[in-house]
Amino acid sequence: MTTTAVPPAPAGALPYDSEMPMALVQARTRRFVLRIIWTSTAFLVISGILGLLLRLRQAEVISLGDNFWYAVMTAHGIGAFIAWAGFFLMGISFWVLMKVGFPIRSFALPEVMYWTMVLGVIGIVLTTLLSGFAGSWVFLYPLPFFSAGQWSDTVTGVFSFSVLMAGVSILAYCAAILQTTISPALKAKKDTLGQRIGLTFGFGLLFPSRFKTGRGKEPYPVLPLAVNAVDMFLATLPFALLLVFNIIQSVNNGFSINVLLAGNLLWAFGHPVVYLLLFPAAATYYYLIPRYAGRELVAGKAVAVAWLIALTMNLFVWAHHLYMNYPDGENVQQTLGTIMQPTTYALVLPSALSLYSIAATIWRSNFQWNVASKFLVAGIISWLVAGLQGIINATAAFQETLHNTLWIVGHFHNMAFLNMGLLIFGAMYAFLPELMGKPWWNERLGSVHLWGTVIGAYGWVTCQMIQGLEGAPRRWAVLPEQYLTLTHISLGFLGLLVAAQLVFAYNLWTTLRKSPFDDPSAVSVRGGTQA
Amino acid sequence: MMTSLGTGIATGYLIFVALGLIIATAILWSTKAGRRDKGVGVDIERAERAEPWWGVFVVVLLAILLGFTIWRAPWFTEDDSPRDVQVKVEGIQFGFLVQPTKVRTGQDVQFNVTSKDVNHAMALYNPQGQMIMNVMAIPGYTISRSYRFTEPGTYVIRCLEFCGYQHHKMIYPAFQVTA
Repeated sequence: MTTTAVPPAPAGALPYDSEMPMALVQARTRRFVLRIIWTSTAFLVISGILGLLLRLRQAEVISLGDNFWYAVMTAHGIGAFIAWAGFFLMGISFWVLMKVGFPIRSFALPEVMYWTMVLGVIGIVLTTLLSGFAGSWVFLYPLPFFSAGQWSDTVTGVFSFSVLMAGVSILAYCAAILQTTISPALKAKKDTLGQRIGLTFGFGLLFPSRFKTGRGKEPYPVLPLAVNAVDMFLATLPFALLLVFNIIQSVNNGFSINVLLAGNLLWAFGHPVVYLLLFPAAATYYYLIPRYAGRELVAGKAVAVAWLIALTMNLFVWAHHLYMNYPDGENVQQTLGTIMQPTTYALVLPSALSLYSIAATIWRSNFQWNVASKFLVAGIISWLVAGLQGIINATAAFQETLHNTLWIVGHFHNMAFLNMGLLIFGAMYAFLPELMGKPWWNERLGSVHLWGTVIGAYGWVTCQMIQGLEGAPRRWAVLPEQYLTLTHISLGFLGLLVAAQLVFAYNLWTTLRKSPFDDPSAVSVRGGTQA
Repeated sequence: MMTSLGTGIATGYLIFVALGLIIATAILWSTKAGRRDKGVGVDIERAERAEPWWGVFVVVLLAILLGFTIWRAPWFTEDDSPRDVQVKVEGIQFGFLVQPTKVRTGQDVQFNVTSKDVNHAMALYNPQGQMIMNVMAIPGYTISRSYRFTEPGTYVIRCLEFCGYQHHKMIYPAFQVTA
């Protein structure tokens, strides 16, 4: 029998936890979340294979056409970041909210979120792998219209529309999260919209006498999810505008926009989108770690302040991606760069205080160690490690050494795969037993998965980061020869990483095939006959 | 081979990672004691009271880093003083137009970097293969960056901003620095 399932809340330890008696909503949410888990995992398989092809080509093990390599790179970037990690965490947000007593109030927006993401990803796959769009996942303007004969403007238009669909999915997600959180579930003593909004964004923690809730204390996981929903809603709009401009230009060659403006519109979304992954990950840590530690999250008012800082600052950090764009006489861009180094530093606070809270929660607790909790702890440590890299990246003075090198690629794989990715696996080990109504088939295989993933992925990203510090360029299909040794070494680690995922796939497949269900109440999740 | 700045970044990073891992190990190790006393031997309220001070500590560290580094941002370190040589570098899919192609050691050289089509970047590698300069080439704009060469030899320019399917072939192989 597995021990990965989330333990029940200890009596009195988690006053906000809910047993959710609303069986129908719970069952439908289960089905919805499971659908997202399976879909996003399929996207992981595809984008993972694409990523492996990229590195095999760089190591000169296989041969790929130049444009196809960059098309694969484009599909891999969007596929792994948005379609796997982002989509999974968007889905799991609803389960975490459900667990803390915030059921989905309407499935209309979540369904829009699901289908627009799926349609968008299909469009991206078709336009990249079949039609050859290879502008990279940032498709830096005006590159989409300078394909050197590799793809047409029409393909650029369809690609932009597909990405816009994914953007609509994010907008629908944000609206659904706000609909779910700013709700009667807050149990505001004075049930006005202002009170609900205040409670949702942590004012109940800061001013408990003015923002009272019948829950005693508002659930911490709500905070990062609500902050993320507001920020991503606002950050997606300028990006959507850029995509619309691209679509217009794809049908009207006379239309064009300023290159610097395009860069700013892109990164107004392109940095906050990291938090589309990180903040739901934080919410999941906030929910799961206390369960394994057997005590409430150790957090005071400082965490609420930090999330309010995140709410505002998150929208004013984009220019750190444009540090190197400082044209002569363009003082506005230089001023933005000067302002946005400290605002980016300010975003360290939510991470630093979250890590403090989580560490204090684990400290001398009767912590329940199992595969799920080990994955979570490994993810938390990666949050720290990648966060330190993030501070380096946020420092303008270091950019001439780091910008557009493999250091950056190593960093975001460290953050996206080894923090959010490990959290995703941890959440699968933790939540799937209750979502599927059956335990994991073999927890020992889970341990193999954990160690293979951690060692393989750290070996691989460390190679990339060293290469980057040595000046290895990013997004090169064929790296200069001086970097070949480390590329070959990283292949060994990638092999271990792939093997670990195969072990995971086997464990998951066997778990899915196992019957009968251990929890009859979960039969409806699989479309069974039992109510 | 890393530049001195690259080595400095790596060293600072590794020191903080090591500190973080030591603290993380201590926290995880403490759960052994927690298992013995069933997790009740901790003053939770004290830990909550300490949290703002941790926040203050982090802010102070970041303020120090900001104070030391912001003035070294590339746009602050380039001034308008006259240079010995102006080198114009234009990026175009998939090559560089460089004029002049030869300078001498000891000269103050200002590279004026721009692009004729899409975004490129001029990354200059010294004869040891170290990247010593990294400047964006933006269509319609010019970025100026200065350097005083101390070492003669053949320098290589590579494009560091993704610019299309021949991006990895966008190399200027022979920028000459003579004694």
